[in-house]
Amino acid sequence: MNAFLAIDLPALLAAVLATIACGTLGNWLVLRKESMTADAIAHAVLPGLVAGYLVSGSRSMGAMLAGAAIAGIASVLLSAAIRARTRLEAGASLGVVFTAFFALGVVLLETQGARQIDLDPSCVLFGSLETLFVAVPEGGSWFAGVPGEVWLLLATAAAALAFHALLAKELAALAFDPLHARLALGSPRAVERALLAATSAAIVASFAAVGSILVLALVACPALLAAPHARSVGGQLALGLAISIPLVAAAYLAAAHAPSVFGTQTALNAAGMIAVVLVAAVPASHAVARVIRRQG
Amino acid sequence: MTLPTTGINTIAVLAGCALFGALAGAVGTFVLARRRALVADVAGHATLPGVALAFLVAEALGLDGRTPWILFLGGAATALLAAALVPPLARLRRVGPDGATALALAGFFGLGAVLLSIVQSHPSGAQGGLRTLLFGNAAAITLGEVGALAAVAFAALAALLLLFKALAIVAFDDDFARTTGLPVRALDLALVLLLVATVVAGMQVAGIVLVVALVITPAAASRLLGGRLSTVARRAALIGALAASLGVVASLLGERIPTGAAMTLAAAALFLAAIPFSRSARAEAA
Repeated sequence: MNAFLAIDLPALLAAVLATIACGTLGNWLVLRKESMTADAIAHAVLPGLVAGYLVSGSRSMGAMLAGAAIAGIASVLLSAAIRARTRLEAGASLGVVFTAFFALGVVLLETQGARQIDLDPSCVLFGSLETLFVAVPEGGSWFAGVPGEVWLLLATAAAALAFHALLAKELAALAFDPLHARLALGSPRAVERALLAATSAAIVASFAAVGSILVLALVACPALLAAPHARSVGGQLALGLAISIPLVAAAYLAAAHAPSVFGTQTALNAAGMIAVVLVAAVPASHAVARVIRRQG
Repeated sequence: MTLPTTGINTIAVLAGCALFGALAGAVGTFVLARRRALVADVAGHATLPGVALAFLVAEALGLDGRTPWILFLGGAATALLAAALVPPLARLRRVGPDGATALALAGFFGLGAVLLSIVQSHPSGAQGGLRTLLFGNAAAITLGEVGALAAVAFAALAALLLLFKALAIVAFDDDFARTTGLPVRALDLALVLLLVATVVAGMQVAGIVLVVALVITPAAASRLLGGRLSTVARRAALIGALAASLGVVASLLGERIPTGAAMTLAAAALFLAAIPFSRSARAEAA
């Protein structure tokens, strides 16, 4: 089979679908000035992921994802509880909790059968886009060989877009006019919890494939790329994804194939390359916006 | 059960780690007071591209890429650059401190991941050890590396003591500090330099991913217990030294436990232990 279809396409699909899932929820997090919460969740899910494996005794995706989601949500609630009790700043209480969760996950991975989970701590940081490939079973179609991670990300991206469509009004009220939201919504807490749960789910589905560092870039960058141009929340999301997706694809292809152009065998870390390109594009997008404003 | 390094080596490693923990706790007190906790996270992660670049440049020049001072200088340079980029990024339209922190962290650590993938294909074979910098490994540290760690930590602690009063005034009330003619911006820069010295010193033992925990958690635990800033800083230094020492011992005993993770868990346990004694908890009881 064509190497592009077998190796590059599944990784590209995973990266683009993770961009849609994380970027859609990240749009709200960026508006709420909470994008670093996503970084905390992306680290805090690790012990849950490993515990899910240890408890279920198998590499069952369901148990691992459930454990990860529980750990991610628990870490955010715990850090809110610490903040309420101790008057520490948000960053500090988040920092205390997510480093502890992540450290616990690293210790569990190293001591409790990391080999079987075939997940090592640096995979957790840098992702494993390089290891995704389509293994077509004999006589089967290409689709039959697509790895489970890609299907999971497809479902997550669809769910994230549905979440946005369903709750956009409530979330916008909360982000722009919290007082009005409290009066109109009755229970803004429920909407905030829903956003937290959806964010955790998107991060859990993404981070095994793309790694914690790229999760943060995918949460923050689409919205920040579109922010200087957009006039509405929906516009910011649409423009953010429209700018990010081609950048993500280009960065992946550059990481995978540019080194061979220069005559070396090794590919560059794809997740890192995508993060660098997305982050570098943000100030560039702001510069473009300034030029447009000056001329307009 | 025996420690992999025995006698004088173990004592040197323990002392070096305790010194690093004390520095991290003391510097963390001021970092928390200035509400810059996540800048510490940025600084820690942002050492990675500098370390990898320094390794590649040194090897290309025919030097040993693992030399601690070379890695320190590289790590410090990119950590400083990342921390310095946060304020101008935060001033971009609709970005703010939260977005700027996310950009700096993801951009620099992403660049580090790319450079690390180049380091790993480097033919010298010395790069095996660079990966241990992610989570720290006190068992593999050499006496020379402990010496370099101690020198950086001593210098940073001395600078902190010299600047203590001025930093305390800025931390307490920067508007007041400005009216009394203190150079607030220079002092903030000094604090960032102290933070960078701390993460660089802790790189080999605590690792660059979790070094932030030694900056934030002991200082947060100490703040729970209240008191004047000087008291909080001294107590944070003690808690930091204790957490770092406990972590080193745990990781030397349990071979496969990365030192940074053990130190982080020790600090978190001390933080948990401090919660029942926190000022607000006591106020509720009274």
